Amino acid sequence: MIEPVYEVFARKTRGEPLRHIGFVNAVDGDLAKVYAWKMYDEQNWGEMCVIPRDAIIPVNPEESQFVTMMGRDAEQALVHSKGTGSYGGAEMAGGAK
Amino acid sequence: MSDTATESRVEKAAELPDDARAALRSLILALADSKRVLGLRYSDRMLGAPTLEAGIAASSMAQDEWGHARLTYALLGDFGDDPKALEHERPAAEYRTHPALDAGFGSWADFIACILLVDTSLVTQYGALVESRYTPAHNRVQKMLDEERFHFQYAAGWVRRMAAVPEVRGELAASLARYLPQALQWLGDDEGPAIRRLVDEGLVSAGPSDLRARFLSRVVPVLADAGLADELGLARRDGGEWSIAQPLSFDGWSEETRRSGGSLDEETAARARGDKNRALLMD
Repeated sequence: MIEPVYEVFARKTRGEPLRHIGFVNAVDGDLAKVYAWKMYDEQNWGEMCVIPRDAIIPVNPEESQFVTMMGRDAEQALVHSKGTGSYGGAEMAGGAK
Repeated sequence: MSDTATESRVEKAAELPDDARAALRSLILALADSKRVLGLRYSDRMLGAPTLEAGIAASSMAQDEWGHARLTYALLGDFGDDPKALEHERPAAEYRTHPALDAGFGSWADFIACILLVDTSLVTQYGALVESRYTPAHNRVQKMLDEERFHFQYAAGWVRRMAAVPEVRGELAASLARYLPQALQWLGDDEGPAIRRLVDEGLVSAGPSDLRARFLSRVVPVLADAGLADELGLARRDGGEWSIAQPLSFDGWSEETRRSGGSLDEETAARARGDKNRALLMD
């Protein structure tokens, strides 16, 4: 199973622009929220949001960091290939424990 | 909490009657010890998690639990205890840990089931301290509960995911079935005199049965959503509150330790105490 990418946005104070601070892989939005909150905890964020990368519609795709020239499926295949690893998914897939 | 109790906030444990003070101390120590060992067990899952994100979150949750343990031990300074001695100098037999934490996690399923059930049983008991008229407990608990929301979401997400994977669903169900009665029992015996004193004095806002109902109202929707409620013997009583078919027995159960005998093993206690780095402990 391939986990979708969720982009993480946050701001420290009200009125401050929402900033893109990174991304997480997660099976659903609920886990994406937890992972984002726990991974990007180096700042005392006032607000944090996660957005499925699929939901982002780039206005100028050639300049967007949310799409690659490879296309989404090819990018996912690369990120989740054995060499680059998604940290041993075999345990969950019923493989070696 | 009643208006009368609200009007008479207690700032110092010394203001409490002896029996109520002893009961509150026992509860706080059981919470602190359980948080300490829960964090230790979580830390064992920082590596070897199914995904990098899950491992990082496990690490963060372990730190949360150690922070909660330290805050909770610190409360006991007001009861005449030395919090540092409680943290670093007790033998295993004096720990009052949740019995579900005696054994380490054998699998990822154990870890997830423990967060959902054991961690939530602790959170539920802490929740009864939010409205305590003992002000120091009241003041410290809310921040912990805010952090715990993420632990619950983590567990809920992983229960949903694992229940949908045939290869691990049975293992998850077995882990949940093992922890569920322990989590429910840990919330206490309604007939216990110490618990009755805590409720009567307004030091906790609810007794064991009410806490069990609160606990089930939180965890069962997650289990039902994953299609696991029936096989765990959970059903709605007259279409209302959730209950478990298996009756709880409090024979031999101690209100003071919240256990039916046994204790943490010495090896785990040595880790909880930080024996390996004792020479480096700072004041």
